[in-house]
Amino acid sequence: MNYAMALDYQNCINCKACETACKEENGVQLGAHKQRIWVGIVEGSIFGKPFVNLYPSQCNHCIDAPCVSVCPTNASHYAPGGIVKVDAHKCILCKGCMEACPYDARFVDDTTVAVDKCTFCDHRIEKYGTTACQETCPTKVRLFGDLDDEESDLVKLLKTKRFFVQKERSNTLPKLFYIVPNDEAYLRQSVSHDTTIYTWESFKPIYDRASKKRSQG
Amino acid sequence: MKTYEFAGLEFRLNIFNLLFNKTMIIAYVLIALAAFGIYEIFELRYFSTAANAHAAGLDPTNPGLKDAMKLAVFGTVGEVNREVPWTLFIVNYMYMIYTGSGVIFLVALAELMKFRVVERAAAGFMALGLSMVFAGLFTISTDLNMLNMHWMLLDPNVSAGMWLMLPLYLTYIPFVLFEIYLILTKKRELARRLALPILIMSIGVDLVEYYIQAKLFSMNTARHLWTEFPLLTLYFIISAFVSSLGIMGVYSYLVHRKKPEYAHIMDLIRKGILFFISVLALYEVIAYLVVDKDWAFLILFGPFKYLYFLGYILLIMVLPFFLVFRPTESYWKIVLASIFTIVGGYAGRYLFVYGGNANPMSNRFGVGYEKYDLYDIASTFNYAHPHLGEIFIVIGSIGIILAVYKIFDSLFDIARLRDSH
Repeated sequence: MNYAMALDYQNCINCKACETACKEENGVQLGAHKQRIWVGIVEGSIFGKPFVNLYPSQCNHCIDAPCVSVCPTNASHYAPGGIVKVDAHKCILCKGCMEACPYDARFVDDTTVAVDKCTFCDHRIEKYGTTACQETCPTKVRLFGDLDDEESDLVKLLKTKRFFVQKERSNTLPKLFYIVPNDEAYLRQSVSHDTTIYTWESFKPIYDRASKKRSQG
Repeated sequence: MKTYEFAGLEFRLNIFNLLFNKTMIIAYVLIALAAFGIYEIFELRYFSTAANAHAAGLDPTNPGLKDAMKLAVFGTVGEVNREVPWTLFIVNYMYMIYTGSGVIFLVALAELMKFRVVERAAAGFMALGLSMVFAGLFTISTDLNMLNMHWMLLDPNVSAGMWLMLPLYLTYIPFVLFEIYLILTKKRELARRLALPILIMSIGVDLVEYYIQAKLFSMNTARHLWTEFPLLTLYFIISAFVSSLGIMGVYSYLVHRKKPEYAHIMDLIRKGILFFISVLALYEVIAYLVVDKDWAFLILFGPFKYLYFLGYILLIMVLPFFLVFRPTESYWKIVLASIFTIVGGYAGRYLFVYGGNANPMSNRFGVGYEKYDLYDIASTFNYAHPHLGEIFIVIGSIGIILAVYKIFDSLFDIARLRDSH
């Protein structure tokens, strides 16, 4: 099993239902800066024409996660399904993982005095098969699934769409896949030209190599 | 006073004199402040008003929950501010580690270069440098979640950057202690031979420390001041050497001023300060031409400009330069320059850590910068004042320096200038 998520980000309407559902489902600390998931905003203008792009995001549960390798106490670790998790009782609050994470996906939970982050709702996967954020999204932005299962909806979607990942040059092999919008101009508003656009065929060998490397390591 | 001997090392042991003398009393007062700071931090860290979404559902009328929700909506929750995660703890840790190891490096270098007068005073200088390293380690340990630190030993991830420091410290500290032992037992030739590995390890501490930080920071492009600074390691080392010489200057005034060698020591310190502030000045001119313009503007022309020009440039470079430029027999000028370099060096570290936090941007997506804060009014400057507890701990770390040094001195009389043989 290797859990991942695809995001049809063009559909996001910034309603923040996913953020609320996440807080409710996981008992996340209250506070505007205490977020396991968030909707990012990139604003700009092209030749005077303004645009706003919304990027729902969260921990990328990277295959080669720098937050895991910098943790001095193994509090950050890979749980079954390739989910990156934090053992709160082992966290010494060195904040190294917060700095190492290229996606700025971690924060300090003051109720546990430990770093906290998205867990892909691993406690509910068995019963409900998906995360609270996906279940709540009114515009079906998110799709959670197993990359190892060729029959999963996730893999089926990735086989039919093109997608990109965030900060691929960090070489962390993230597992949040942003689906390329049908309107290429929308994509290019805020995605740079040197961002690699993958298909399942081009991505699969990279993913297989990385997964194999990690299972050997 | 009765003296004892162990492994060729003479020492005096009088518990009352060891624990109750002027320096130790000052150290106790400062350490008491640190203890109060730790209490403050504990209260903030473990007993802050904070609540999660479940608490809101389970006990909605709880007055504590009301406070927590009020803070969550209108205030900053908890000890660690997400926009400003690196604070005075890190400033003090970096200052103490770099400056302390700088003192040890400079003394080892002087030993290798056969500066006799420094050789004779080496034990005191090295003990002082080592005391600063201990003060740095004390500060950083209070920054961590002390209740979970046993996991460092129970489940260590030895390949993690933080663990790289452990073998280094485990070698470096005993090596320096052994060097002091050789000096005290008048094994001068052996001491000189050991000076080279100590010299290499002193730089090693700085390099590894930088490598760990750079490895962490370089992934998070939002705070790239720390990784874009050209030859940052060199900058840290050079600026630390200036403060290290300042520490040595003040120490020499306090300990050696009535000795005939004082003039010679102070003249060497004067030359050292002059050389290293010249290099540092060159560095500063180049550095702010190449770092990200957002940071350059924040520091040179923005909210940090007074700290940068008056707290850093003026104190660590301009005033000391004019005070030590000409050879002088008015040694108070060198002492004053030393004090300025100590304070200026600290301002520089503060500026660097808080400056790195200050640019309110986030690059979470790798597709461009977004507004950092989605809920507040967009800010152009991130700054969070140090907590009172942090300030007390930093003041208390000076007590650690005094206590460690004084214990060395009470036992082994390290302040005495020793002849080679």
